[in-house]
Amino acid sequence: MSTANMKDVKRRIKSVESTMQITKAMQLVASSKLRRAKERALAAQPFFAALYDTMSDISNDPAFTSIYTKKKVLRSTLFVVIAGDRGLAGGFNSNVLKLAAQKITELTDKKEKVSVICVGRKSVEFCEKRGFDIVARYPQVAESLSIVDAEDIADEIIEQFRCGYYDQVDMIYTTFVSALSQVPVAVEVLPVKDISTGLRHRSLIEYDPSPEEVFDGLIPQYLTGLIYAAVVDSFASEQAARRTAMENASDNAEEMIENLSLLYNRARQAMITQELTEISSASLRDE
Amino acid sequence: MNTFKLRIITPDKVFYEGEAVSIIVKTAAGNIGILAGHTPYVANIVPSPLTVSENGTDSRVAAVSAGVVKVENGVVTVVTTAVEWAEDIDVSRAERSRERAERELAAQASDKEFRHAEQRLKRALNRLTVSGKH
Repeated sequence: MSTANMKDVKRRIKSVESTMQITKAMQLVASSKLRRAKERALAAQPFFAALYDTMSDISNDPAFTSIYTKKKVLRSTLFVVIAGDRGLAGGFNSNVLKLAAQKITELTDKKEKVSVICVGRKSVEFCEKRGFDIVARYPQVAESLSIVDAEDIADEIIEQFRCGYYDQVDMIYTTFVSALSQVPVAVEVLPVKDISTGLRHRSLIEYDPSPEEVFDGLIPQYLTGLIYAAVVDSFASEQAARRTAMENASDNAEEMIENLSLLYNRARQAMITQELTEISSASLRDE
Repeated sequence: MNTFKLRIITPDKVFYEGEAVSIIVKTAAGNIGILAGHTPYVANIVPSPLTVSENGTDSRVAAVSAGVVKVENGVVTVVTTAVEWAEDIDVSRAERSRERAERELAAQASDKEFRHAEQRLKRALNRLTVSGKH
């Protein structure tokens, strides 16, 4: 190997090293963000449990009906697609968006009306490129979603549903299973599934003014909680996916550096050997 | 004084958990007071001041947004999307969001925007009322 070639190898090692520094840093940042996201997801649990209890109590009443629980003939569906704001997270964005595209084309093939609410920049970009009918866009909210933002999204959905524009509302997001596994899921949000515990009885609880009114009044909070939880869940998944991706990238970089160093050292050794042979053969000739 | 267990829950945390003597919350029909031994009861609450008394003489006031209050087995649970103690309310922020909502209301936007602005105005006014700076 020539000296010029050796310089190239040296330069490549340098460049891989600096890339590795970045991937290592991103991995650390993702780890700490993941921890915070997990805490947030955990903190949302009591809120959800309390709402769910109340709603399932109400639906245990045999006389109970609500426009939010009635199943309708499916003609139009609204999807809430939640993805990340940034890439470099392995298959995180593409997996969830692939599922969304699959669900949406399934319905459009049946000539049903489909619209989308996009949460996260990647989701907005994807749906725009595919030419889906977008009702609302919420880019750049994944990391710092406040309750007020979630409330806005919930209001939008409830309004569209109440007016009868859509017969069903589905949410597509990535759920955090473990640090190594994040699964894209599609869940039915509206109409609310039957959540009664099966024990049909008239409860002794006094509902003011009536069980139906309380139930319908709870729907905005329920949806807000659902959306908040899904975005937090999705964000935790994104960070976990990014951490894994960056860990792999760092490992690969390390391996590459090892190989390149080996190559470089061999070349250096070869050059020294060659020089030595040249010197010794020259001195032999001089004798 | 008889006390009951009170929990105030929001999506980001359990805001309050402890014993209380009485609370006053506002439902669609008006203010209701809850004392220990209340009958099982569930009602929606509207954005309003929530008064909590821990010993029967002093009371603390918090601004709550829409939610639900539930009394069951002697435990009172308030579930709401947002709640703040009066002393923690950022008055200038509430003032700003009130101004913004008023501007939007005056702009005569679409029905939907009008209702959104109205809701924001209600929340902002509620926070200002509770903080006592209005």
